[in-house]
Amino acid sequence: MNFGEKVKSLIKEAELYKSQGLLNEALDAYKNVQTLIESTQNIKNKDSLLKKIADKIDLLYAKMETEFATPNPPKVSEDARSVIKEMITEDDPEAKGSSSLAGAVALAKFGQYDQAIEELTRLLSYDSLRLDAAKNIVWCWLQQNEVDKALGRVKQWMSGNVLTLSEVNSVRAYFEELVQKSGLDARISRDKIQKDLEPESQVDDEEILDINSTRFNLPRGPRKGEAVELEVSFQAGKYLKMLVPKKDQKLIEGLSVGDQLNGMIFYSPMAIFSGIGYVSSKVTINAGPKKGDYSLEIKILSIQT
Amino acid sequence: MAVLNLKSREIQAKIVYYGPGRSGKTTNLEFIHNNYTKQVAGKMISIDTHGDRTLFFDFLPLGLGKIKGCEIKAQLYTVPGQVQYRATRELVLKGVDGVIFVADSLKVRREKNMLSLKDLHQSLKKMGIDIRRIPLVLQYNKRDLEEQGFPLMSVEKMDHELNRQLKVPSFTASALTGEGVGNTLSRVMKLTLQHLQKEFQWAQGK
Repeated sequence: MNFGEKVKSLIKEAELYKSQGLLNEALDAYKNVQTLIESTQNIKNKDSLLKKIADKIDLLYAKMETEFATPNPPKVSEDARSVIKEMITEDDPEAKGSSSLAGAVALAKFGQYDQAIEELTRLLSYDSLRLDAAKNIVWCWLQQNEVDKALGRVKQWMSGNVLTLSEVNSVRAYFEELVQKSGLDARISRDKIQKDLEPESQVDDEEILDINSTRFNLPRGPRKGEAVELEVSFQAGKYLKMLVPKKDQKLIEGLSVGDQLNGMIFYSPMAIFSGIGYVSSKVTINAGPKKGDYSLEIKILSIQT
Repeated sequence: MAVLNLKSREIQAKIVYYGPGRSGKTTNLEFIHNNYTKQVAGKMISIDTHGDRTLFFDFLPLGLGKIKGCEIKAQLYTVPGQVQYRATRELVLKGVDGVIFVADSLKVRREKNMLSLKDLHQSLKKMGIDIRRIPLVLQYNKRDLEEQGFPLMSVEKMDHELNRQLKVPSFTASALTGEGVGNTLSRVMKLTLQHLQKEFQWAQGK
């Protein structure tokens, strides 16, 4: 095969692959032509030939860019949505509730977030599905990088009565975990999320007396239900800071950020009063003489007079 | 997983067309849709990109008539072949009853076939399914391209490379002309129904 025939054959090969949509293979063939021309001496129209091949390669790259780009999930038709929901639903066909949840989750997995959120919101009214539905709503918003919308929804549940307290805590923990895993908390600080999620307090900072110590029952952990009394090391209005020594590991395990502490007793030099608190922060001290101990923060939500 | 309704004597099997990008999975479904009109039981749904590459899946429902008093239905799906859509492929594979692996006969696609078969193996394994136990048929597609001057792999070579260990039925095909399309589908359906019979004894007493 002489030079001309070789070039023609390689170009034909490239065109054939292109016609099959095999763009990488077409590109390889064009590059082979390029190499062949470049390495051959005494070609009259070498530059113009190379220019023609380079143009073809550029066109191919442009085509590849659009074809191989990962597009945002398109909005699909109602028929396609039905297929998606049915496709993933492996549950017992009689178990209508759980298959609805699986269907809604399937829509979300195929990027049909608006419809998924709509269906999941409807499922919030079913006791057995509520928690999973709420978590999936949060997941849908975060998949779209809509942290504020997810946060707004969690806050709405915290102040409303759609979810029980333990469900709210579970959803909030899930939200925080997702934010942390996805790296989204690099954009919004963890503290901000935490503060945004805190329930509103009904007390003014000025109303609150100085508090020396507080007593409450542990809501969880190995000492669940046990009453503990902690000294307040620092107070800023309705926020009380307490130090928990590292040896009291079981005590600290009995508290999680987001726990609501009903029936708290607050001891002040002037009076003893009761109220509701909220665990707003729990961190390990990493430096200084108290290194390894825990710093616990409780926000007073309401007081009973 | 197949839907078996023993009361109404109905079986619905899920068949997935798997294979590398551009191997002709969608073309298989299009041919069935356009030529097996009696069996087609609903709209063909395709969700693809501007470049006609499958983005999510294609879907085609079929009604295949009665066997042993049971109404047999099949739902045909294709997966997106491009490497980056692995998660979507795994979603579509969920609950699969039978697989048609569409391999590209073009010589230049040799490696892509092998990688895609390996990907199928891994995806099934992740779902707890052994590739040697699921009804599986191989289709060596695009045999017609030889006439247009494309270098193709020989059937023996493809069988050796893709089917040496699996030893499953294989068919040559040209999805564009329809050659081999029906044979591939009927064989996978036969294997699937036999498999479901072993598992659920749906044809018992009839």
